[in-house]
Amino acid sequence: MTHDLSTLTAGRIRDGIAAGDFTATDMAESALARIAALEGDVHAFNEVTAGLALDAAARVDDLAAAGEPLPPLAGVPVAFKDNMNLRGTNTSCSSLILESYSSVYDCTAVRRMLDAGAVPVGKCNMDEFAFGSSTENSAFGPTHNPWDLDRVPGGSSGGSAAAVSAGMAVLALGSDTGGSIRQPGALTGTVAMKPTYGRVSRYGVVAFASSLDQIGPFSKTVEECALTLNVICGKDPMDATSVDMPMQDLAATMRDGVEGLRVGVVRDLMALEGCDPRVRACTMDAVEVLAGLGAEVGEVDLPSCMYGMPAYYIIGPAEASSNLARFDGIRYGHRAEGAEDVMDLYLRSRAEGFGPESIRRIMLGTYALSAGYYDAYYGQAQKVRTLIIRDFEKAFCDYDVLVTPTSPTVAFKIGEKSSDPVSMYLSDVYTIPVNLAGIPAVSVPCGLVDGLPVGLHLMGRHFDEATLMRTAYSYEKAAALDMRPPLASALGV
Amino acid sequence: MSKDRLTTVLESWEAVIGLEIHTELTSLNTKMFCGCPVQFGGESNTRVCPVCLGMPGALPVPNESAVEATILAGLALDCRISRWSQFHRKNYFYPDMPKDYQISQYDLPFCVGGGVNVEIDGDGCAQRLDRAAVGADPDGTYTTRIGITRIHLEEDTGKMVHVGGSEGRIAGATHSLVDFNRAGTALMELVSEPEIRTPEEARRFAQKVRLVFLTLGVSDCNMEEGSMRVDANVSLRRRGDIEFGVKAEVKNMNSFKALHDALAYEILRQGDVLDAGGTIDQETRHWDAGKKRTSSLRSKEYAHDYRYFPEPDMVPFTFDDEYIDRLRARLPELPDARGSRYMAEYGLPKHDAAVLSGDLELGDYFEQVVEGVGVPLARAAANLVLGDFSAYLNAAGSTPTDADVGPRKLARLIQLVDDGTISGKQAKEVFAEMVATGEKPRQIIDRLGMRQVSDSGAIEEVVDRVLASNAAQVAEYRAGKHGLLGFFVGAVMREMGGQANPAVVNEILHARLDA
Amino acid sequence: MAISEEQVRHVATLARLGLRDEQVAELQVELNDILVQIDRIQALDLTGVEPTTHAAAITNVTRPDVVRPCLPRSEALRNAPEQQDGAFLIPKFGG
Repeated sequence: MTHDLSTLTAGRIRDGIAAGDFTATDMAESALARIAALEGDVHAFNEVTAGLALDAAARVDDLAAAGEPLPPLAGVPVAFKDNMNLRGTNTSCSSLILESYSSVYDCTAVRRMLDAGAVPVGKCNMDEFAFGSSTENSAFGPTHNPWDLDRVPGGSSGGSAAAVSAGMAVLALGSDTGGSIRQPGALTGTVAMKPTYGRVSRYGVVAFASSLDQIGPFSKTVEECALTLNVICGKDPMDATSVDMPMQDLAATMRDGVEGLRVGVVRDLMALEGCDPRVRACTMDAVEVLAGLGAEVGEVDLPSCMYGMPAYYIIGPAEASSNLARFDGIRYGHRAEGAEDVMDLYLRSRAEGFGPESIRRIMLGTYALSAGYYDAYYGQAQKVRTLIIRDFEKAFCDYDVLVTPTSPTVAFKIGEKSSDPVSMYLSDVYTIPVNLAGIPAVSVPCGLVDGLPVGLHLMGRHFDEATLMRTAYSYEKAAALDMRPPLASALGV
Repeated sequence: MSKDRLTTVLESWEAVIGLEIHTELTSLNTKMFCGCPVQFGGESNTRVCPVCLGMPGALPVPNESAVEATILAGLALDCRISRWSQFHRKNYFYPDMPKDYQISQYDLPFCVGGGVNVEIDGDGCAQRLDRAAVGADPDGTYTTRIGITRIHLEEDTGKMVHVGGSEGRIAGATHSLVDFNRAGTALMELVSEPEIRTPEEARRFAQKVRLVFLTLGVSDCNMEEGSMRVDANVSLRRRGDIEFGVKAEVKNMNSFKALHDALAYEILRQGDVLDAGGTIDQETRHWDAGKKRTSSLRSKEYAHDYRYFPEPDMVPFTFDDEYIDRLRARLPELPDARGSRYMAEYGLPKHDAAVLSGDLELGDYFEQVVEGVGVPLARAAANLVLGDFSAYLNAAGSTPTDADVGPRKLARLIQLVDDGTISGKQAKEVFAEMVATGEKPRQIIDRLGMRQVSDSGAIEEVVDRVLASNAAQVAEYRAGKHGLLGFFVGAVMREMGGQANPAVVNEILHARLDA
Repeated sequence: MAISEEQVRHVATLARLGLRDEQVAELQVELNDILVQIDRIQALDLTGVEPTTHAAAITNVTRPDVVRPCLPRSEALRNAPEQQDGAFLIPKFGG
């Protein structure tokens, strides 16, 4: 029996299985049926893992049949961005260079999801190696936004966002280096969270920029986001940058309301020229809702964040150029035919295997680190990073949560920006400073413009995910928006 | 020592040598950044994991014992321990380097500064022409302090076997095979100041560093197996000049002799080039121990630009006083201190103390012997260990640890001489038997009936018999011909089959004859 | 700072990317477009500002020296483009 996954939440699924209303296998089959129905239009997946899903579901059903207590994500269909390792799947990063790369170990966050009973339905499309904001930079073709198939879902975790938005998975994990979870979350009307740097182990997610990357969830509701964070967060001995910091039960603390919460609207960032006024208005409406709930609203400037974009386009590519060196055709991945020696093998394997945006970023990063340029580029960018952190520290003296739009615009047309890298880079202008500072932030749907979702971007102090969840949950309850895309709600399965 | 070519070159040119010593921390259980075991050899690619294979998404986590070992090395070599330190990435492509960057340290190594005193004696002194100026003794022996620039921690590469050419060499190979078992093994790099002036100093410095590392127990420091690799930077400058010349880097020396010989060769080569008005190329040269020469690698070189940047996958290190003091407390007795103690506590001569403390195993063996015999007999122990025992080790090609004659047996032998059971001369024979048969000294003495008779009753009986049957000689002795004492001793010893305690025999003879 | 064609070629060699001539030309234009944006931070006087190298303000994270299971050799070599005798096979090195 299949169910409409666009209406079921993770909590409801677990409870339903425990109560015997349906089985985990029902849920897995429902997800696979929706994928079969929608994937041709959306192309959210690089690989659908029906076998793994049905096996995992059967294990949950066995637990339920034995009357065992069910773990928090029991039977919940989940999807993973295709840069996360999972044995039994390929991890392609949407790149030809890893097209047939078969994972030999599990990503810690993925493992934690599966250990919590989640059912893996597939690996999601993305911008190649997470380089992009539209999922158009995939070697396997773009993902389409379930709200308008002619438009991008955002990126780089566009496949994960689209899968949740269209109800092909109930939850998904993405990775966020400069906005790659939050921006597609905003563009697809999903709740999308980047935790504090160090909250979630990065072990097993193919690195883009190690000092910026963080794994986080996509969900339809804030409650599911909180639930998932509690599952994936925590110190991992395999990641030296993961932090041992206890996390509250977010699903409990999120209900505490926003009475007296100090909300700071980031004035200078809101005023940026490239920001669609309707997106700005939507954001301010959401702030009004929070004020109506008892939050104290004020304004604040983050002047150094203006330099976030240039700093990010040095640090990100610099680290990426080093992280992507290992794709050399020696131990795995694409190897050019008939190379005459090792140098020839390197040059051709890499030029053939990497797509244009990857080559651009590797070139940019290599240049920025090369002799004579380090201080001017990388060194200077790291100092800008310090200034941005100071800006946030100062702002958080007066405010508990800072607000901007998540993306300056709603979803744009496929192809609209793909020939202009710089304009594409600007779509992460609100999200980038958060990664540079390492703080947590969440994007919550806050309305529609031209029938397309807008995201409210809430930023918090280091390790203060609880306040973000509380704010997001209060807003979501008060706004009570229906964020199911027409395509998903029209589907009978 | 006749004046050789090296001396001739060094008369007009001064060699400036700096060493880079890479030491694998073989005493660790696991590699630098992952939990794979550290072992030598074995089936290829069987001690690897996602981390040391550089699989996509895998992350390094530093081995706390590797960090400690490096700090210990720094403390032992008089270095300053950095308060703030971190790893950097050194970016370059190489097929045996899984991530195509090496995690190493750049401007913030764990240990900076430091140095060791190196004593040069024997023939090698002659290489230092200005030894008088550095305070050499009349016999040429001198001590020089070699500064240490830094000690840092990094990871080792895998290994390549080149197939299709001759003897696994790159030249002529059609393809190569890569094994990553060694990849990621913790590698400690020590960089010396360019304060070494002769091949002998380089050898002694490297030996001293090795001894310190062995004493710390951080590595087996096996040069042949490559767990200790010494590279040298060599340049020449005219005597009296301050500016350094252009240096060549010399690699592939897998013994101390090779290090010495390669440097001696390289000094001659550079001297010849410079004397002929030529210039030295800044390049890497390979020592060929068979052909006894260095040669330029001349492989296709691409410009290096390592693009160092702070390793973002690992957080920085801070070492506070408490941490440093805790490690300092773990330092074992170091070679210099050991040598001083042998002189002060055991009364050993300087040379003996230096030899015993200069060889970790021999020193340990010696101390076990001393433990068995007690401090008053330490000199006797040193004599035997440095004498017959060392001669046996050389002959057998054995090490103190593997020696068939253990320290307890050796201690017993010394005691048997001390308590008069056997004579020192007999001890030599017993030792030879111990080596040959593995028997205990007491068993050998019994078997050979070698026991020394010290029982004065038995000896008196024989003495009286000898004196009675040599009345004429007794009279001569008493008349003043005291040289005859030896005659009587010999007669008594003969009578007793050589087993009488000569001291007792002497004593009794004197008592009888001088009465 | 504008990047020259020669620099593009040098950087491509450092990064081991065998670019075609038209790619080099294209990249020179694109990189310069991006560098114009990036150069905005060149003008900032950041003397005395400490660089931030790590997002997490923690230090001294290590692991105990304890052996963990290795990969079976078949897994280590599973993705090898070419292999021989349990090793990764590569074309001749250098030359």
